[in-house]
Amino acid sequence: MDFSSLYDSLALIKPEIIISVTLVLIVVLDLIYDKNKKLVPYLALLGLIVSGIYILSDIANEGFAFKMSATSNKFGLLALDSFGSYFKLLIILTSVLIVFFAKHSVEIENTGKRQGEFYTLLFGMILGMMFMVSASDLIMIYVSMELLSFSSYVLAGFIKLRDRNSEASLKYIIFGGVASGVMLFGISLIYGLTGTTNLYSINAALQSGNINLIVLGFSLLLIVAGIGYKISAVPFHFWTPDVYEGAPISITAFLSVASKAAGFAILIRFIKTAFVTNVDGSGNWLLVPVFDWKTLISVFAILTMTLGNFAALWQDNLKRMLAYSSIAHAGYLLLGVVVFSQIGIEAILIYFAIYMLMNLGSFYIVMLIADKTGSEDIHDYSGLGYVTPFLGVSFAVFLVSLTGLPPTAGFIGKLYLFIALIDAKMTTLAVIAVLNSVVSLYYYIRVLKHMFLTKPNGEVKEIKLSTANVVYVIVLLIPVLVLGIYFSPLVNFAESCLAFLSF
Amino acid sequence: MYEYLNNIVGNEVITYFVVAALPLFLVVLPFALIAVLAERKVSAHMQDRLGPMRVGYHGILQTVADILKLIQKEDIIIPQADKKLFNLAPFLVFIGSYAVFAALPFSSKFIGTNAEVGIFYILAVSGFVVAGILMGGWASDNKYSLLGAMRSAAQIVSYEIPTAIVVLTLVMITGTLNLGTMSEQQTAYFWNWNILGGAGEGIQQILLIPFMVVAFTILFISTLAEVNRTPFDIPEAESELVAGFHTEYSGMKFAMFFLAEYANMFAVSAIIVSLLFGGYQSPFGYLGNTLGIPALIPFEQLFWFLSKGVFFVFVQMWLRWTLPRLRVDQLMTVCWKYLIPYAVFNLLIVGIITLI
Amino acid sequence: MNLYDIIFYLFAAITIVSAFIVVNAKNIVYAAFSLLFTFFGVSGLYVLLGADFIAIVQVMVYIGGILVLLLFGVMLTHKITSVDIKAGSVQTIPAVIIIGIFAALLIGLMYSTHWAVNPAEIPVTTTKSLGKTLVTEYVLIFELLGILLLVAMIGAATIARRDGDK
Repeated sequence: MDFSSLYDSLALIKPEIIISVTLVLIVVLDLIYDKNKKLVPYLALLGLIVSGIYILSDIANEGFAFKMSATSNKFGLLALDSFGSYFKLLIILTSVLIVFFAKHSVEIENTGKRQGEFYTLLFGMILGMMFMVSASDLIMIYVSMELLSFSSYVLAGFIKLRDRNSEASLKYIIFGGVASGVMLFGISLIYGLTGTTNLYSINAALQSGNINLIVLGFSLLLIVAGIGYKISAVPFHFWTPDVYEGAPISITAFLSVASKAAGFAILIRFIKTAFVTNVDGSGNWLLVPVFDWKTLISVFAILTMTLGNFAALWQDNLKRMLAYSSIAHAGYLLLGVVVFSQIGIEAILIYFAIYMLMNLGSFYIVMLIADKTGSEDIHDYSGLGYVTPFLGVSFAVFLVSLTGLPPTAGFIGKLYLFIALIDAKMTTLAVIAVLNSVVSLYYYIRVLKHMFLTKPNGEVKEIKLSTANVVYVIVLLIPVLVLGIYFSPLVNFAESCLAFLSF
Repeated sequence: MYEYLNNIVGNEVITYFVVAALPLFLVVLPFALIAVLAERKVSAHMQDRLGPMRVGYHGILQTVADILKLIQKEDIIIPQADKKLFNLAPFLVFIGSYAVFAALPFSSKFIGTNAEVGIFYILAVSGFVVAGILMGGWASDNKYSLLGAMRSAAQIVSYEIPTAIVVLTLVMITGTLNLGTMSEQQTAYFWNWNILGGAGEGIQQILLIPFMVVAFTILFISTLAEVNRTPFDIPEAESELVAGFHTEYSGMKFAMFFLAEYANMFAVSAIIVSLLFGGYQSPFGYLGNTLGIPALIPFEQLFWFLSKGVFFVFVQMWLRWTLPRLRVDQLMTVCWKYLIPYAVFNLLIVGIITLI
Repeated sequence: MNLYDIIFYLFAAITIVSAFIVVNAKNIVYAAFSLLFTFFGVSGLYVLLGADFIAIVQVMVYIGGILVLLLFGVMLTHKITSVDIKAGSVQTIPAVIIIGIFAALLIGLMYSTHWAVNPAEIPVTTTKSLGKTLVTEYVLIFELLGILLLVAMIGAATIARRDGDK
């Protein structure tokens, strides 16, 4: 037997291997130190950082891993390229932040002995996402998505204090089960049509013609439903508010950033690999004319951002509001997909990096306040801005950035998206997106109004912050402000990460 | 066997039915007749009694008389019972235990289906028994029945795991799931049996022996539990649950459960025999070879297979009158805390040995 | 129509009829037991497709594992605690219409499509080749499934654990 191709493949997935090893080590450490769970987060951090270093150092390494030798197919289960590496880096970075997030979180602290399991499951999610972003085979996509889903189902209901937590987990699992079933059905139809599950071979089969377009369209709709569930695009978003509200805040934040990023990565890779014949000189993608992706994604994008923004207007629970806001942001991000060009993808990459910072920042502050006041209701935020000005001001910055106003980083993210849209002459979509941003201004600013302008009903207790809390907020706050002014390094880095592995 | 019958009957479909029915009439029914009597006789002699003595010489015809009585009995269905499921359950249980016989290699010429997945199939179809037991217990509308069914199902499902792991160990050594092939490999002398390291040569075979003995012990204990025999007869514990899941059954339906139980006893013994004790192979070579009559060999094989199987059934009976019953928690502890880990380690070690 | 066709239709009928009972039964225990026959029918179809190993796995996992767990759950909640579990149906007509459209669509698609068909082979035993594929070409997926199961197990234990034992 020839092992050389296996060794080559293993050399390409070092970061993933490190994550899996860390997962196992966490389980073992958890068993050895039954009483003391203080070491587990540090082990998790170590694993994440080592893995991150490997991603950074191997960012130029490209190639197919786990090739199908038997079918003399040169494409593998995984396509390692810089696009995937960018997302992996993003996921690792988010995970590092989430580990600190969870360390500071009182609800996670209260689970006591179960913290080891928390980190194990977190690593399950991370591993699933890392494989997802570079999967180039439908089976691989499905399995990695399931790994991500299974861990997140449990984590969503990890705190068992209130009924709401279990409700979140149950809703998530039911929706998730249906979505993955639907997607699997779509996959089986595609396999029936093309005789292969590999995205590259599917591309070849599509180009050769001879495909029943109605069946193809049907199966693609099913697959998009599965992916749309992960990125919580309307109309597959029903789980999002309930799950985001019921899950522990650290997990909500993780789901809203990393899980969404992985979903977008796989959506983009799916379209790019299976449907794009070639990329022309100005970076536009030429799609195989078998399916009207443009209309479908446009409709999803418009629905997603409009519904997300309008539903957010009525939310009094901050977590729920941020859930709807994250739906809206998925809508903006879909705009980057719809232009089908390198510029659009670049805009998505930039937006995601910024979105990670500002969204995690908002959730972190919501968590700090909820841990101290025990409430996520907007009416309990009255007067908090004066009592703890540091939190008030930083929350203001994050929310302004989420709205997309200068001089924050959020503005830059939106700017690049709109440039991509206008470049592709999709002015209507750009106008709708701008109008949506205006709507979103209302609910973001409403929080600030409560914090600074509404008179509190009674005495407002000061929220005492530890140094670690302050450092965490500042770590997120500074990039949000700096990237609003000096953004060229991020843009350059994103530009260098646009390479997809092609034939 | 199949071709031979097909020539006689001349019709494919009828042949299938004949082949399917053969183990029932050749093995299961006669075996049940003998085993029921044997159980009573064995238990009697172990307790220094005589057992049934009145029907025939030393009570030989006792079971026949019992069957006649069972047939005459009124088929009582209690009014609160769920009739459909109540009537279906005995059949389901019997199907589950009888389906096992399809893959047993009675002799080199007499295997119901020589399917490649043989032993795996046997493990799988026992799932029907569990479903049937649960069905019967639930439909009886009796708390003892339901409790018995629950205990039984939990027990069978748990003990399936060590069984499967040990079977996996054997599959790893022999490289096949087919029981027929497995028997064939343990060629006709007892030192070629898997319990003594299989038909391989050299150091490997000797190294394997202790681990095969471990495998046998685990397999025997867990199959004993799977057929709900003492010391694992908690589901039917008379002193606690009347008679477990079949408390409410009478007449022929009770007889079905009874038949299934005895069929199961033989089936698990046959599995042990074909996995570890040479299957249908004779321990000392064949008379047919010595006499130069090859046609005799299959019959010899049938004889050896049945006698080895019956021997293990006898061991089961022997244990029944030797060991006291376990408690429920002890039962689960034995399975999850001891048998499964030991089986897994055994699997690993055997894996390493086969790699050498 | 030869023997195999008859067997195919038999298994298909078992699957469909029992699946219909599963969704329609008022009594949840009936639904659970009908599932037994659905699983059995599906495994029969696998056998006819020449996928012997998958067929056995179907029986082993679904009947021997999932169904028994399901029955346990149902029985422990249904009869012992005498909680009445409602298994009625609401909005039958819209559901029938939607399913009708969906079924018509699927059947239409099925007949109008040119499927990628491989030439029929004499069914050979699949166990060995299946095992080989799993540890060579699909080894990554195989390993990933291992981690998936580990995570699922830890997750199940986490959920089942009482919060009292901190």
